[in-house]
Amino acid sequence: MKTALPSLLWREVESLFFAPLAYIVLTIFLFLSGFSFVKALGEGAGEVGRTVEIFLGGGHWFWLCMLLLPPLITMRLVAEERRSGQLEVLLTAPVRDGEVVLAKFLGALIFQCFLWAPTLLHILLLRNYGALPAVGQLVTSYVGLTCVLALLTSVGLVFSILTSNQIVAAAASTTFNLVFFALPIAIDEIGIDWLVSPLRSVSMFEHFTSGFSKGVLDSSVLVFYASATLAMLVVATRSLEARKWR
Amino acid sequence: MIRIEHLTRRFHELVAVDDVSLHIQEGELLGFLGPNGAGKSTTIKILTGFLPATSGKATVAGHDVAQDSLAVRRKIGYLPEQIAVPSDTRVNEYLDYRGRLKGLTARERKTRQDTVLAQCGLEPMRRRLLGQLSRGYRQRVGLADALLGDPPVLILDEATGGLDPGQRKEVLDLIASFRGDKTVLISSHVLAEIEPLASRVAIIAKGRVLACGTRAELHDTAGRRGEFLVGSAGPADVLTRALSAEGLTPAPADDADGDDLQLVSLPSSMAPEQLLASLVAAGIPVRHFEPRERSLQEIFLELVAA
Repeated sequence: MKTALPSLLWREVESLFFAPLAYIVLTIFLFLSGFSFVKALGEGAGEVGRTVEIFLGGGHWFWLCMLLLPPLITMRLVAEERRSGQLEVLLTAPVRDGEVVLAKFLGALIFQCFLWAPTLLHILLLRNYGALPAVGQLVTSYVGLTCVLALLTSVGLVFSILTSNQIVAAAASTTFNLVFFALPIAIDEIGIDWLVSPLRSVSMFEHFTSGFSKGVLDSSVLVFYASATLAMLVVATRSLEARKWR
Repeated sequence: MIRIEHLTRRFHELVAVDDVSLHIQEGELLGFLGPNGAGKSTTIKILTGFLPATSGKATVAGHDVAQDSLAVRRKIGYLPEQIAVPSDTRVNEYLDYRGRLKGLTARERKTRQDTVLAQCGLEPMRRRLLGQLSRGYRQRVGLADALLGDPPVLILDEATGGLDPGQRKEVLDLIASFRGDKTVLISSHVLAEIEPLASRVAIIAKGRVLACGTRAELHDTAGRRGEFLVGSAGPADVLTRALSAEGLTPAPADDADGDDLQLVSLPSSMAPEQLLASLVAAGIPVRHFEPRERSLQEIFLELVAA
């Protein structure tokens, strides 16, 4: 059966990349990532592996980007089209709701991967310190980065579908991310023992600090991200179909 | 081609579409008339698969709109009431994208795009950004999109909204040219547009179809009022007195030629032949005696008021 997914995806990528806002975001992101890399260099004290660990997953900047960037990129994906009426035009074409959701998700994910790609150049600069980080550590760090981005993008997409106001969508998904990031830490601090272990298993910090950043790829963690992202995409598709239930 | 049976759509307490049934034959052009908020757009949204019905059933080209929405959407070209297009895209790029979504091959997209751009008078706008187009031209782009896949069914919601009189005529002529070739459902609240265009008209108000048929059939549905236009070759006041003598209340009316005519409403007990005979017997040189056809607008207003 012929699918409209490639056309929908191309359109999403086009609209993200051909918008001036994309390049403003890219410039700000590059500036901040460069600044953060310099800080990581200082904190890593010349140790290459430690520098990468701080830069990707160990620093405030990394998590601030994770907290804010996916909501900013995803907020307009559906909310804006719903407000302008383009969603009706799109969904009355012979396309499936699931294809629309998947195209928007992949488009936003590709764009964010493009934003993060130049950080590899920063890491290549470590050659100046006499060594490059282990390939394994680099691969797992970027795999982890992609996993977290995928999950947070799918969360942002759900909120963009649930409202026709971009700002509300961004605020809601940022709040969700904040709770998702902070809850395991808060529970750990408070010391609610029976909750610590299950929350640690879904803690993104934990996944990075004891896994991805250290070159460890745990299959159960990958399954967690894959299934959580898939679950959010199913929620997104159902939310889009919810117009039919109201 | 389009069958709507007992379709109802509720939004909480509001019944937007109330037990609507309509059948549209293949190649027929049906005008869907109603005031704003009558339920036209909701019915259309159900037909296009954007909204589901609360109850009832609708099929397009044999496909159930609820069960087989994708197949229905492959058969229809839809022009929504609110034209929403991405402002940062060029006309040809947008139509190419829409052609891809409709499953057209590269060659088909090129051929069809040339055809619909010419049909909709968009050839000079081919490379323009959609955001730079006037509302009228954006409306034409929406129509070009609806026609792009050469669908057997066209569903046009307020197709001429935002167009100037010249553009409106061009678009209406284009839509009229599809009669017999495509099945067209066109909604409007501008009755004068639909009257010469549609082979049949359905009048909807408060979610209910009040009448459906040809103009003659609508006359019957609304009830013939027995109004006649009477003109005399003699003095007008003599005719007025003669009509009053028959117990009628004549009212001055002009015909298209500017002749002085009197409009009278005959009671059901009086046959037109009886009145004519009485006037002739009274020596009135009657030179004009014809039943007055009500315009669609009058029928519409009567039905809606009732």
